[in-house]
Amino acid sequence: MHSHIRPHTHVALRLPSGILKIVELKPNTNIFLGKFGTFNSNLLLGRPYYNTYELLDKDDGKKTAELRVVPAAELHAEAVGDGHAPPPAAEEADESAEGGAGFDIVGADGEVIMRNNRLTVDDATRQTLTMEEIEELKKAGTGSGKEIIAKIMASHQAISEKTAFSLAKYTLRKSRKFLRRFTALPLDVGKLAEHILEKEAYRIMELREESLGLISSWSNVHYGATSRVLTAEDGVSQIGGGRWLVVDDTGGLVVAALAEKMGLLYPTEESDDTSDEDEEPTASPSNDQQTPTDTAMPDADPTDASNRPRKPPRPHIPQMSAYTNTLTILHPNNQPNLACLKYFGYDVGQPSTAHPLYKHLKSLSWLSLIAPEDDPSYIEPELLSATELENMKSSKRGNYYKKRRRWEKTKRVVDETKRGGFDGLVVATSMDVKGVLKELVPLVRGGGKVVVYHQNVEPLVKLVDCYSKERRAAFIAREFGESGQNGKRALEENGDADEDEDFPVNPTLLLAPSLQTARARQWQVLPERTHPMMTSKGGAEGYLFTATRVIPVEGRVEARGHGTRKKRKTAVETPAETSAAETPVEA
Amino acid sequence: MAPVISPFLDPGTHAAAHSLGIVQLRRDHLIPAVLAPNGDSDYAEGKVENTRFGSFPHSTLVDQPWGTQVLASVVDTGSRGKSKKRKRDGKDEGAETPTTDATETKRDIVKAATASSGFAHLIPPTPETWTLSLPHRTQVVYTPDYSYILQRLRVRPGDHLIEAGAGSGSFTHAAVRCVYNGAPGMEVTSYAAADVVEEVNAVGYAPKKPKRTRHGGVYSFEYHEPRARQLAHEITEHGLDPVVTVTHRDVYGNGFNLDDGTSPEADAVFLDLPAPWQALKHLTRTPPPTATVQAVSGSPADVSSDSRTFVSPLNPKKAVRICTFSPCIEQVTKTVAALRTFGWLEIDMVEIQAKRLEVRRERVGLAEEGLRGGNASAASVAEAVQRLRDVEGRAAVFHSLQKEKQEEVVRRAEARKRGKNASVEGENGETVVKKEKVSKEGLPPSKHDRLDKAKKDAETRALYKEGRLVHRTEPELKTHTSYLVFAVLPRQWTAEDEEKARKKYGSGGR
Repeated sequence: MHSHIRPHTHVALRLPSGILKIVELKPNTNIFLGKFGTFNSNLLLGRPYYNTYELLDKDDGKKTAELRVVPAAELHAEAVGDGHAPPPAAEEADESAEGGAGFDIVGADGEVIMRNNRLTVDDATRQTLTMEEIEELKKAGTGSGKEIIAKIMASHQAISEKTAFSLAKYTLRKSRKFLRRFTALPLDVGKLAEHILEKEAYRIMELREESLGLISSWSNVHYGATSRVLTAEDGVSQIGGGRWLVVDDTGGLVVAALAEKMGLLYPTEESDDTSDEDEEPTASPSNDQQTPTDTAMPDADPTDASNRPRKPPRPHIPQMSAYTNTLTILHPNNQPNLACLKYFGYDVGQPSTAHPLYKHLKSLSWLSLIAPEDDPSYIEPELLSATELENMKSSKRGNYYKKRRRWEKTKRVVDETKRGGFDGLVVATSMDVKGVLKELVPLVRGGGKVVVYHQNVEPLVKLVDCYSKERRAAFIAREFGESGQNGKRALEENGDADEDEDFPVNPTLLLAPSLQTARARQWQVLPERTHPMMTSKGGAEGYLFTATRVIPVEGRVEARGHGTRKKRKTAVETPAETSAAETPVEA
Repeated sequence: MAPVISPFLDPGTHAAAHSLGIVQLRRDHLIPAVLAPNGDSDYAEGKVENTRFGSFPHSTLVDQPWGTQVLASVVDTGSRGKSKKRKRDGKDEGAETPTTDATETKRDIVKAATASSGFAHLIPPTPETWTLSLPHRTQVVYTPDYSYILQRLRVRPGDHLIEAGAGSGSFTHAAVRCVYNGAPGMEVTSYAAADVVEEVNAVGYAPKKPKRTRHGGVYSFEYHEPRARQLAHEITEHGLDPVVTVTHRDVYGNGFNLDDGTSPEADAVFLDLPAPWQALKHLTRTPPPTATVQAVSGSPADVSSDSRTFVSPLNPKKAVRICTFSPCIEQVTKTVAALRTFGWLEIDMVEIQAKRLEVRRERVGLAEEGLRGGNASAASVAEAVQRLRDVEGRAAVFHSLQKEKQEEVVRRAEARKRGKNASVEGENGETVVKKEKVSKEGLPPSKHDRLDKAKKDAETRALYKEGRLVHRTEPELKTHTSYLVFAVLPRQWTAEDEEKARKKYGSGGR
């Protein structure tokens, strides 16, 4: 994937202003970049990612501009400010423009060694070009914006008074405004998050890349197609198989991040020709300059086919039918909200059968999980005999099959989910997380990972408290302490009504619950001007709850009955010490 | 060779013998143990993990379902055989490698008796638990850093990753998880096979010939030979050797190609080296001009003979991402300058500030007096006022008693002076006792009374839900680990490539 820009993929174009513009690159269409210009999509197709392209001036007779790749050296020279080679130390050593008051460093002979900003005059009138004149220049549009910048600089009266660094900054600021350039970036999960965070952060629960990384690591998500699906000791439950359970209120961003780690996010064809043959240009029939290799031809054709608009699948491929390497998503509405997946070629409404998510992404509603008998799609439609079917109208017959398949799909997913044994649980939801964990933690295998993301810390603090050492001790005492002594009775008196309130989740099922957060601090690295960025985005911090699903000792009552008496006695005598002995793993 | 199933990638349902399991005692106290139920040991119970929370013989761990809470066993740690050297440390991996043969059959393993207290949890290894428990050889790249690095490097299943300065191997394990997509020698399960078969049948097209999938791989370089050997040993022990290639190499001088001269075709590079800029000259698509190399390294390096047989270690068909990990800002400056020289783009430097939070209940109030974990100052103004009243009340009573006593003494002295008889004295004494009793009844509780009451109350209180729920940064805080420099090297694009693309897609707008 991402070896070159393919037709019908979403691409993030970064404009000089730093704004990301997401476009779907359809062949033969014009891409409009606002004030920066317009170009034809064909000029970008088949080209590599990460290059910066400059919109050249329109030649006569052409509607849109040609593109030029800006070499790395040129980009860096602009960024660094003073040309590529390190300039003489005298010019280089100076404080940054933000550095505040400075002093002239004067040599013995009175020559000024360092220039500073003492003489800087903050006055807009020093720029002699008027706004109208600049607008005129823009319309003329020559030199991809470079000429405008040159003119503006020339018309600045005090350009010679600027220090080297402030001049570099000034030039950069003008470049961001007038240069007609863009950088073609692959739209991957990180870039998508960055793009959405800019404007609609609430849609993805303000999920930053740091948090995505932490989620992926702590959930232990990885490619699981080679994992074994095993049956647990009870003979019913299953365990493992590279299956993860997800509750996602981020519009599918979390699912996308997990799918990427499982090798499910990008269509297989695409990844195939990056690894095998990348000779499509040579393989195209119009090209005769080189004989394509044997494998290139058959590989190139299916690629093209998959990119054409969806064909109705003739032989039925059951959706959500994979056994291993799957993501099961629980959604509160009838349909899951996975809008973000459309950027990766997966439309939830009309999923393409070629996309790996078609078989590996399973979805079920909370209703189907909690009360499948109330879910109409879980109730088996009437089974008709072959003769009955033959006498049906074709449309009705089609309907019949559609219903049967929908039922089969729902039943398969619901039954499989209920058999549990998931390798991990990832939750990013605005629902009450305690309730979510109460239902879903039992479905995670022993040793499986539980990860809960929330943009705010408070819900997770409450969650950690539900699994606190003290609460766990009280829970165990209540469950197994009938024969126990004082202190426990008070709890029992409260009765079952309080049970949910005091113990919304079974605190013995999770080990080492912990809470963490991370933030990346960005730095500017330029010669002599290295410092953390002056500003960055605030907003929600983003927190992560992590824990490991464990299996508490079975038959605890007996186990305690014998060994506990001693413990209980010490518990009465020194209550502080026993809690450590009983629960070595701290909350 | 038997198919390798790494407990990191597919742990199965139970902890298997001869594979790695993690014994978790506290959140940050984990013991990695290659389970050897029949392993040689000085103990009658076979190999044992001794901890302050009890002893756990391997025989009680093997074949337990993952996640099981394991009760400690009674192990006689005092009278081990004196013929052998004492093994102090149960987790010492070097010690238990040559244990499988001869000695194994010699002695029966005594079945361990369950101890009355203490337990641990047996959990499958993950890069996170391994990072917390691995034997430190160098500075470790911790989870907040490596998770962000792997996310930013966009390492996906099937990718190839170069790691230089493998160190203790925490990043190696995390990287394996990212690149893994099956490997030759690793078992393909029936279920996975079923998936494939179904796909082929259902599509109904002529079954596609089996695709040549590119298997993911981690190419790990370490120039400290014992460390490289130790890492290779661990990787094999963890069943990850089909995915990881450990090479003992000085990458500054000798680059990143494999020992047989082939290219690792890396999609991503992670450099945890003291001078990453010196390694960058090997991470190019074409042989770099000698002048550039010298400008970067600052010394006349000899890159002479290599340039003729230059093989790029990078994947020629993709943009390659790099991350360097340096603790000092000077290293960053040099690295970034070198990256610019070699034409890397999207250069970005960040540092990760991660913290863990602790959650606790803060109980404040006079009822906490003498209890553990509470703050026994007044919870409110009202409580403070009440306490002051009590104290003043007690003081008043005390003073009045004192006064009475004094008066009594004075009175007695006067009586003695006057030489009165004993009968009067007795009368007086009685009244004093009565008075004292009366005053004690209405008396506010003494400190001793209060402590007793608080202790008694605590047993019926549900302390786990009392107090104010608060959170704060954990006391141990890593304020700086390293600076992360990220960059991208786009794939090479020649004029011919451009011509081909132009022919294929047209230039549009004609």
